[in-house]
Amino acid sequence: MASLPKRIIKETERLVSDPVPGITATPHEDNLRYFQVTIEGPAGSPYENGIFDLELYLPDEYPMEAPKVRFLTKIYHPNIDRLGRICLDILKTNWSPALQIRTVLLSIQALLASPNPNDPLANDVAEDWIKNEQGAKNKAREWTELYAHKKN
Amino acid sequence: MESTDRRNMRTQFQALFDTLRDPQSNSYLLELFASMIVSPELQEEWLNGGDSNKVKGCSQEFIDSLPRVPRSEIPLKESCPICYEKFGDDEYPLVAELPHCHHYFDVQCISLWLSKHATCPLCRDVVNQKTFDNIDLSKAELEEDWGMYS
Ligand SMILES: [Zn+2]
Ligand SMILES: [Zn+2]
Repeated sequence: MASLPKRIIKETERLVSDPVPGITATPHEDNLRYFQVTIEGPAGSPYENGIFDLELYLPDEYPMEAPKVRFLTKIYHPNIDRLGRICLDILKTNWSPALQIRTVLLSIQALLASPNPNDPLANDVAEDWIKNEQGAKNKAREWTELYAHKKN
Repeated sequence: MESTDRRNMRTQFQALFDTLRDPQSNSYLLELFASMIVSPELQEEWLNGGDSNKVKGCSQEFIDSLPRVPRSEIPLKESCPICYEKFGDDEYPLVAELPHCHHYFDVQCISLWLSKHATCPLCRDVVNQKTFDNIDLSKAELEEDWGMYS
């Protein structure tokens, strides 16, 4: 394997030594560009008390290109589709090499706290969210119960 | 194949992809099928509204014309925001300053970014709305070669 850029080593070291509250990111032993990630559902959101698994991969072009991130845990959210793909501008057109793994994961945590049904990826969920917000939130809470790890 | 044919086919595929992803069809299998026939890169582009095609970088001429920071003014203890290397760790640091915002980057790092984008990585200012006419380009190229081998 090609040697790991210094930037990735530094980011990894900081993620371990100074972790973000509610977020873990652990590099895979065999491939240091692949991270197993967990994000705690933000307090007050339908995802509260759930811990969600994600995977994050740093492509060869990183940091010129954004990390690839997706949810492994099933989640009911207007900006996350059934394949776990996330609709977040900084992962697409608004990526900048001044952002980093840490800021990406914080943005995903923020997206859980404030879903944006007007910029949907999962169209049916977004529709549900706009038509019947309370019902959609209840469903999101049910899915959190069903599929996420329990926080204790 | 003619490139216009290729474009047409691409448009048709994109339409098919959009149809299969239509919430009215509401079928997981169809969605999965749509994502299987289209490469992940294209999917991202299309999910994105297909506008990543329109994102244009800066011209090589513009990139070459970026002001180089004289060695005496380079903050040697600061790091390049792209590669995280300290400017001072390089024996012959080659640092560029962006026109409006005065942010500093390694010439090599910012050149790579600006070849595909037109914004400052730090403040997202559009950088290429003004060029620098008073820079001797032949000299800039020479310096770049020197930088690569230093
Ligand atoms: Zn750099
Ligand atoms: Zn700037």
